Amino acid sequence: MIEVRDLVYEYPTKRALDGVSLTVKPQTITALVGPNGAGKTTLLRCLAALEAPYSGAVTINGLDTRESPRAIHAHLGYLPDFFGLYDELTVRRCLLYAAWSHGIAPALSSGAVEKAARRVGLVDRLETKAGELSRGLRQRLAIGQAIVHEPNVLLLDEPAAGLDPQARRDLSALLRKLREAGMTLVVSSHILAELEDYCSEMIIVEGGHVVGGKPIKVRDDERPRYLVELATARSDLRSFLTGAGIDVLEADDHHALITFTRNPGARAKLIRDIVKAGFELSSFGESTRALEEAYFSQVAGGAGGP
Amino acid sequence: MNPEFRRNLWLELTPRRVLLMTIVLGLAFFAAALSGGTDYRPAWFAEMFYYFIVVIWGSRNAALSVVGEIRDRTWDGQRLSSLSAAGMTWGKLFGSTIYNWFGGAICLAVIVVSEFVHREPFVAGLDIVYFVALGLISQAVALLASLVAVRRRQSHSRFGLFLYQVAGIVAAFVVFYLWKAADPAGSFITHKPASEYVQWWGQNLDARPFFLVTLALFTGWTLVGCYREMRVELKMGNGPFVWAAFLLFMGVYVAGFDAWLAPTAVKSGWDAVALRLALAATTYACLSYVMVLLEPKDRVHYRWLGGELAKGRIGGFLLGLQGWMMSYLATLVVAVALIIGLARAILVADAAVIASAFAFLTRDIGIFVLFQTLPGRRRGDFAAVAILFALYVLIPAILRGLGLEEILAFFLPRPTAPFWMGPLVVWAEAVAVASLALGRVALSDKVAAEPA
Repeated sequence: MIEVRDLVYEYPTKRALDGVSLTVKPQTITALVGPNGAGKTTLLRCLAALEAPYSGAVTINGLDTRESPRAIHAHLGYLPDFFGLYDELTVRRCLLYAAWSHGIAPALSSGAVEKAARRVGLVDRLETKAGELSRGLRQRLAIGQAIVHEPNVLLLDEPAAGLDPQARRDLSALLRKLREAGMTLVVSSHILAELEDYCSEMIIVEGGHVVGGKPIKVRDDERPRYLVELATARSDLRSFLTGAGIDVLEADDHHALITFTRNPGARAKLIRDIVKAGFELSSFGESTRALEEAYFSQVAGGAGGP
Repeated sequence: MNPEFRRNLWLELTPRRVLLMTIVLGLAFFAAALSGGTDYRPAWFAEMFYYFIVVIWGSRNAALSVVGEIRDRTWDGQRLSSLSAAGMTWGKLFGSTIYNWFGGAICLAVIVVSEFVHREPFVAGLDIVYFVALGLISQAVALLASLVAVRRRQSHSRFGLFLYQVAGIVAAFVVFYLWKAADPAGSFITHKPASEYVQWWGQNLDARPFFLVTLALFTGWTLVGCYREMRVELKMGNGPFVWAAFLLFMGVYVAGFDAWLAPTAVKSGWDAVALRLALAATTYACLSYVMVLLEPKDRVHYRWLGGELAKGRIGGFLLGLQGWMMSYLATLVVAVALIIGLARAILVADAAVIASAFAFLTRDIGIFVLFQTLPGRRRGDFAAVAILFALYVLIPAILRGLGLEEILAFFLPRPTAPFWMGPLVVWAEAVAVASLALGRVALSDKVAAEPA
């Protein structure tokens, strides 16, 4: 779906991306994370064919961004970190303009507008001016404009910035719906917590490089991550779990982060085995901070958040 | 309908605004007719209103059509649309100024009716062409200036917007001045009798139709310029052929005015061919200066261009050529032809001056590129212009004051004895500056590769 090979992008005074290579699989939500100034926005703009690379290649749906930027634009939606809307136009007209300018025929545009408005939850506000919407609703309208032409790739740069908790939750639900509808999403953020809900893959960008050299799988619906916690420290926790054939990601005397099947019977058996082996199990549950754990396990040093 | 044009209609041509414009202009013309007493008075007011609404205000709106999108952070969304570069260009140019054209149409109707009644239908027809082209070229120049600035990544400030508007107004003023100079009823502006004929390529042509054709051609080229800049914004490549065609057009057009130089040239022995080549070379040199000043001198792009050439990717190389590079090459070709022609006519001293002038051009372009690659390059163009001012104005003034006239040829294109001394020294300057500039471009590859 998205292929990046040895991408180099330079500003006159700085090399922003230095040999980035990655693959984004179709129908996934990939988190693009890293500290401020790491090159996330530049990478997204290169993926959106808004910037031409100095060297290397970016292909989207098999099309090269340098050779066929306009063909890529036709199948791509992009929401920049700082976006604007036509405040004097109604939501309907904003979406209509987006539909027409993406080549949707006038006869089909009303249907496309209705569908986009329904997806982003703005059906009841079609006649409201964009300038009168709240921050969260403006965000939804901007996403609506980006998806009105049914792109198969959607790039979002810091989409949750400035949103309240309810709006963030709505955004998560919307992004999951879009993935289920067949879209491939790449979402950039430097706030890991907001990506936990919906991202299945993670790309860490730091200093113009992809840390680890490839996307990291952070969510596996078949084999999620579980956190095992003990009331009393035991130095043999890791060896016990490994010996039982469990895939241990991290472990110390009190905790272990493992991947394990979602099957309830298998989980119940594992808990029984742990207790039977004399461990004082205080907690066993699905990890809700998979992305953050994966991030810090990848980034050298681990100290200091992104 | 073009979506961009339609969006602008929604925003600009609301019923309330249409009514307001109609009432204000109607009242103004009615008041003029009542108070003036002569039949020309409403037409004069209409002309003034037209200049204000279409030229001054319209230029601002045209300049704002892209800069405003960048300022309001909607430009990326538009760049990702499926609109073609041509569609985006005309949608913006006519959409953003549709309200101005609405007011302008009312004014134009008053002007044309007055001309039709008091002069003759032919004059009324010429007036329509003139006024429409005037409005169009001013707005197109303002849009073009704003697009050039966008490519230079300096577009957001109010002062910047004002400058793009001024570019449009200046273009309109030039058109206005030339039109009035050729108008028997309007030559008071130039304080000279109207120019009834223009001598071009040895032909005596009627001044006003010649002027209107010229205006139409330059308006067309300005629109082509807007289209090409828009293509760049939409990440579509521009081939070299359109700029090459523009250079050819400019060379042929300007070379036709050799009669203007003939009286002085006859004395020095230059024939018509040499004069025409000199005019074409001067035009290309001027275009080289204008383009090297306006175009972004991005060392990353220059390195990429060098890479394409080194890899033998001629297509990519041609796509990446900038206007100043092609203008410089055109100057080289014509200047060499001129030098050969003058040398054959035993005008060796003149040929040497042409060689010096071309070397100065080479050096000056090197200065522009070099100053963009130096640290603190944000003001690189300003520094380059300041250096050139010192080289061409201040230092020669000092040398004259010190009585060192013989050294002036190292700073200005002038004959020297022996004739080769001037070109030799100036080419040495040019090669030194060009080497420094190329060295900086190559050096920055390593600098950029280091962690920032």
